[in-house]
Amino acid sequence: MEKRASSPHLAVIGPSQNISRYSFARFFSRHGSGLLLFMVLLAEAGVGAFVIRDVLASYGAVHDMYDGSVRGLRRVGELQYEAQETRRSTLYALTTNDGNLQVDYADQSREADRRVTQGIAEYTAQARTAEQNHLAHRLADDWKAYLKIRDDVLGLILENSPKEAVDLDLSSGVPLFDRVRQDLEEIKGFYDEQASQQLAAVDDASRRSVIKLVAALGFGLLFGSLAIWAIQKTKMRSTVQLARLQMDFVASVSHELRTPITAILSAGENVRDGMVKTREGLIEQGTIISDQANQLMELVDQVLLFAATAKGEVWHNLRTLQVSDIIDHALASTAGLLQQSAFTIEKCLEPGLPAVIGDLSVLSQCLQNLIVNAVKYSDKDRWIGLYARIDAVVGEVEINVQDRGPGIEYAEMAHIFDPFYRSPRVVTAQIHGTGLGLSIAKRGADACGGRLTVVSNIGAGCVFTLHLLVAAENLEMAPTTASGNESRS
Amino acid sequence: MRVGLRIRSLLGVGALLLGLPSNSIAQATPTSSETRGRPGQSLAIVVNKSNPIEDLPYSELRKIFLGERSHWPSGRRIAVAMMDDGHPERQTVLRQIYRMDENGYREHFIKGVFRGDVFVAPKTLSSPIVMRKFVFNAPGGIGYLRSTDVDKSVKVLRVDGRLPDDKDYKLQIDDRAVE
Repeated sequence: MEKRASSPHLAVIGPSQNISRYSFARFFSRHGSGLLLFMVLLAEAGVGAFVIRDVLASYGAVHDMYDGSVRGLRRVGELQYEAQETRRSTLYALTTNDGNLQVDYADQSREADRRVTQGIAEYTAQARTAEQNHLAHRLADDWKAYLKIRDDVLGLILENSPKEAVDLDLSSGVPLFDRVRQDLEEIKGFYDEQASQQLAAVDDASRRSVIKLVAALGFGLLFGSLAIWAIQKTKMRSTVQLARLQMDFVASVSHELRTPITAILSAGENVRDGMVKTREGLIEQGTIISDQANQLMELVDQVLLFAATAKGEVWHNLRTLQVSDIIDHALASTAGLLQQSAFTIEKCLEPGLPAVIGDLSVLSQCLQNLIVNAVKYSDKDRWIGLYARIDAVVGEVEINVQDRGPGIEYAEMAHIFDPFYRSPRVVTAQIHGTGLGLSIAKRGADACGGRLTVVSNIGAGCVFTLHLLVAAENLEMAPTTASGNESRS
Repeated sequence: MRVGLRIRSLLGVGALLLGLPSNSIAQATPTSSETRGRPGQSLAIVVNKSNPIEDLPYSELRKIFLGERSHWPSGRRIAVAMMDDGHPERQTVLRQIYRMDENGYREHFIKGVFRGDVFVAPKTLSSPIVMRKFVFNAPGGIGYLRSTDVDKSVKVLRVDGRLPDDKDYKLQIDDRAVE
């Protein structure tokens, strides 16, 4: 905890508020690039699906056109050919006196006429509109009338009456066949018109598809570019921020190193220069050197510990621990500081706390950092509360470290666990620190499978809670070695 | 002598003009099993189904085949069809209706056409199938088929009141006549 605020508003971050602006901001700051890329992919997939649907619709329109108009035109073409074949074969019979050939031509004519009759029947069956129906029936009637004349002409040819056959064909056959041809032309024209309309519709659909495709590609390009730009900017900002934090860290560590070194140097010079003549004076200078050296060692230990956690190496040894052992270890390690600062510790452990999973040194260090933080930022009210309780529903033990300081401002909440982060106000107030304490504490909690959360009440202090997993073999509430309420100064 | 040669050559030209079969064609045609029925089978006289005639006296049938009748009572022109040489049916018709041999038959029609007694000679067809199709297509057509070759596309006439399956039906095919 690097920064305390005096504003009266309340800022609370805790396990009961999993979905909060704080969590979201932290989540987004960590996974923003991935989210952005996912959104780009999602948008591209949506646009792709839209374009595919459009292309499929165009294909369907083309298929309908082919099925309706093009096949219809082909069918009419076949009908026209077969009708001509019917008539042609009849006329061929006129060109010979050979009875066998005449019968053969008559056969060919009848074969062709059978195909025409079948084609007309198929067209009639597939007619959809009243106009098509009317045309189909007219064609069928005209074809029937022509066939009657054709039969008579064939009969006359076979009866050796070619002149009468020609006369009959010219007087009745030709006009009737012309009517059939006209009917077929009308049907063809109908299909032509239908095909033209459908072709125009397909053209429109294709044009729309192209526009949509261009728009989709443009949108994808723009959105992708924006996403890349945003990702780059975020990364750049993170890099710049990290560099700034590291510079601050170097400055801070240098300052922290310089202070005890200066004190050690001064004490050494005093002894060397004979400024200290009495035994009490020597003891005093020795104590200064010893204390300052200890402070230096602690600082170096913090930096090394952070470096170890940052490497991602295994720096802990998980085992079953009693909560009281963790708290006692942390209090013993900070006893000197607490006594020197005249802080009152109110310790309260719920009876029957189960064992938890963790590394004693890691969790003790975590609690130590929280206690040191509370000492560092508390004002006049020199009091720290240490509470431990079981959350049976979640299966966790919660260790609270509470102070009565000014609390943490809401704007600071998103950054207090970031390494090297130090509030500008803290820097201004010349409160010493490296910006690593809370970061190390959080990494320690995470490494042991737990969590570290904070609830801040502006003007009234804040509560850091260390959530630890209950050991599996102690889920039935194993007794603690030390329990009950205790206060000490 | 010279007159005889002229008549023979004239008969040859006339045969070509009238489409009468040559001997070589006649020998090659009757090869299918369809044309070879069992001895003693009836020969049916067939006409177009639109023809109202049901029964013909034998004498009238003979006049029709000889070309002495040119039109049906309905006014439709009569078109007689004969099969190619070598068919037992043709031999049966020549023997039982025309009462002539091949030479007599040819001579009858060539002379008849030249004299104007016969309007047109019978059409010569290659097989019973073609015969059936001819009668089916020509409303005034008349021809003959072995009774087993008859189907529903043509109408069988009674001759002297008898159908081919009836007892005492006159027109019986003798397949041995071809051999």
